[in-house]
Amino acid sequence: MSSACPSCGAELETPLGCARCGGVFTPEPAPSPFEALGLAVAFEVDPKELRRRLLRASRVVHPDYHGSSTPEVRARAERASALLNEAHELLADPARRADWIVRSLGGPTESEQREMPRAFLMEVLEWNEALEAARDAQPGSPARAALATLEADLRSQKLAVLTALARLFTPLPERGSKSLSEARAQLNALRYLETTLTQIEALRLEASSPS
Amino acid sequence: MGFIELNVLNNSVNNVALGIDLGTTNSLGAMWKDGRPIVLHPEGDSGYVPSALHFTEQGTVLVGREAREMAMIDPAHTLFSIKRFMGRGLADVEADARNVPCPLSETVNGVVQFEMRGKKYTPQELSSLILMKVHDQACKALGGLEVTKVVITVPAYFDDMQRQATRDAARIAGLDVLRIVNEPTAASLAYGLDQRKQGKVAVYDLGGGTFDVSILSIEDGVFQVLSTNGDTHLGGDDFDRTLVDVAKKELAAVVRPSTLEDRAFLQLLRLAAERCKIDLSTDPEAFLHVSLPESGVQWRRKFTRHEFDALTAHLIERTLHSCRRALADAKLSPEQIDEVVLVGGSTRIPAVRARVEKLFGRKPHCELNPDEVVALGAAVQAHVLMGGTRDVLLMDVTPLSLGIETMGGAVAKIIQRNSTIPCQATEGFTTYVDGQGGIDFHVVQGERELARDCRSLGRFKLTGIPALPAGMPRIAVRFHIDANGLLTVTAKEESTGKSARIEIKPMNGLTDSEVETMLNSAYKNAREDFDARRAADLRTEIGTMARATERGLSQAASDLDRETRRDVEEALAAAKAAALDQALDSTALQKRRDELERATLPLAALLMDHVAKAALSGKRLDEV
Repeated sequence: MSSACPSCGAELETPLGCARCGGVFTPEPAPSPFEALGLAVAFEVDPKELRRRLLRASRVVHPDYHGSSTPEVRARAERASALLNEAHELLADPARRADWIVRSLGGPTESEQREMPRAFLMEVLEWNEALEAARDAQPGSPARAALATLEADLRSQKLAVLTALARLFTPLPERGSKSLSEARAQLNALRYLETTLTQIEALRLEASSPS
Repeated sequence: MGFIELNVLNNSVNNVALGIDLGTTNSLGAMWKDGRPIVLHPEGDSGYVPSALHFTEQGTVLVGREAREMAMIDPAHTLFSIKRFMGRGLADVEADARNVPCPLSETVNGVVQFEMRGKKYTPQELSSLILMKVHDQACKALGGLEVTKVVITVPAYFDDMQRQATRDAARIAGLDVLRIVNEPTAASLAYGLDQRKQGKVAVYDLGGGTFDVSILSIEDGVFQVLSTNGDTHLGGDDFDRTLVDVAKKELAAVVRPSTLEDRAFLQLLRLAAERCKIDLSTDPEAFLHVSLPESGVQWRRKFTRHEFDALTAHLIERTLHSCRRALADAKLSPEQIDEVVLVGGSTRIPAVRARVEKLFGRKPHCELNPDEVVALGAAVQAHVLMGGTRDVLLMDVTPLSLGIETMGGAVAKIIQRNSTIPCQATEGFTTYVDGQGGIDFHVVQGERELARDCRSLGRFKLTGIPALPAGMPRIAVRFHIDANGLLTVTAKEESTGKSARIEIKPMNGLTDSEVETMLNSAYKNAREDFDARRAADLRTEIGTMARATERGLSQAASDLDRETRRDVEEALAAAKAAALDQALDSTALQKRRDELERATLPLAALLMDHVAKAALSGKRLDEV
């Protein structure tokens, strides 16, 4: 996983910078999100470890620590830091992490495969109805109050989808394996759940907004 | 002594940077010194530079306190709250334009211009004058050390255009901007260091013209902004306006309708309303006074705090709604916030404090001076950027989503709001027509679904695309938001393998050459300002010398020969006339002063009185 610093030879935690000599690098092609944070590709990621790695690497490459360097070094720090933040953001989100793994193993993209798990589809109709009813109702009405139940329902479904994904990704499937297509179906379900949860949040905020 | 000298050497100009809070109402400079940030101010002065400008009849511009004082005498030529116009076009500033006592226009690139005494000024130029004043004062406080590197703060909710405008203002002022930092984040730096805070912190920053709320996680020196929200058109000015509106309605029965339209009168009314608001923060009731002796207007109206709270409740509610949205984005509930910090002069309003406390269920912190804490935080960040410490790591976010307008006028988001900066996203583009050499795209910032409801950051044009069948070129456009929250766009053609030079041109705001021209004229203005100051000093000096000469003549005229006496009287008359002639510049005044001094030398020699001699030569006794 780890490589050696091109300028001082120390072992690198991230290909973007060296904690020992303070060098900042922008290798081409750009490292993958997992590489950027010095992690092996896996669906399960410990969020605390992820954050620890982000902060450790940031203390090397963040532009704030290169404020009085040459414009060239400053530009590299900007780029390295952006790559690091981009990688962290992606890996911190299970849906985007899973999406990246499916694509990197040659699985179907979301436009190539749109279906969701069959059992899940049945419930989608009910959820949509509850959401529509709540949207048309006044804040404080029973239909709005029912949102809390809906939200709890969606959250437990989300947990179930994440568990299913973890199972599909352990061990990591072969390139082009059929389970990648199953993972995509779960991901489609996950995307639906997240969109709906965001809409519920928006409705709640709207209810408290000054008119 | 040797050690002290070494320290002085270490503090050479290259190693220090200023933190500047460029505020809507006041601006302030600070610096890291002896292990902590300090406000830089002249002895016996708070250091606040009112963000006000006055345009004199002589064509010079007064900045700061002098300008604010002139607002009472000549409100028609005094400008306030320039920050509300930064990075804005005419169409965006309709409401604010009503409070401006001069005509407004727009440059071809959509930059607002103020027309004062026959000259046009962009907000960038005017802000640069304020920055120069703060910088000048800070350098004086440092004993004349010429520091050019600065960190400047902006509201967290400022979009790309407003940030660019701020950076351009600093460039016009001849300053080297190390970083643009968000105000609430800067405040948290000052607070975090001071109080050694840990945990989740909400910074509520209600200034003169803008409101921000930022939710941060502070842990082991890492200041990570989780979310930010706000309104770049909501601040103390709006609270003043509620009182102005009541006053206008009631004054309609007292004064002529034309008076209520008079920009100068409205400026006075606004200042009176501000005074009343400030009084209401400490007193349960206060008066709003307006007096215009020339039109016979003498009016006062009592406001109770209760009435003021009712008038402004909707403004506070808007800030609380921003707080709720920021909390939702940070995925936190109010109870999960460990500390609430108040920043900005408008948080002195008791109702603001009470309602913030109610929302978060805890007493907000206000130990640090809410007017100084942003500048102090900027100084901390300047210290970090100069390599002074690695104990602090600041991770801020971009406040607004970045997107590209799609065919139907919708927005395809490419960077989500509250992404940690620096951040980037790459988007693929291709051609629709065989041999197409260019592609246009429109970049917008904001949360709305339609591009026309978001802020346009500019239409970009990719040119130099190699001639290929439609759909073949693969152009990767990289959007990079840097640590200042500023966007840069770069492009690379990937299909041909050779890196064709793709050029990208933004089409809004000030161009580099405009900034260059303004830079020159700003220096010219600064020289003119300097000249005006020198001329004023000389007029005072001539006055002092003339009085001393007259006194001397009355005591010893009989002892002078007729010719000498005539010389003295002529020089005296000439100098007195010069002091009154506003058309004379400092060079001409200096000449008259020197002539008077020469002519009075025999008189001075004659007078044995040392005090008289000292006054005649314009010097203090101890300098003689």
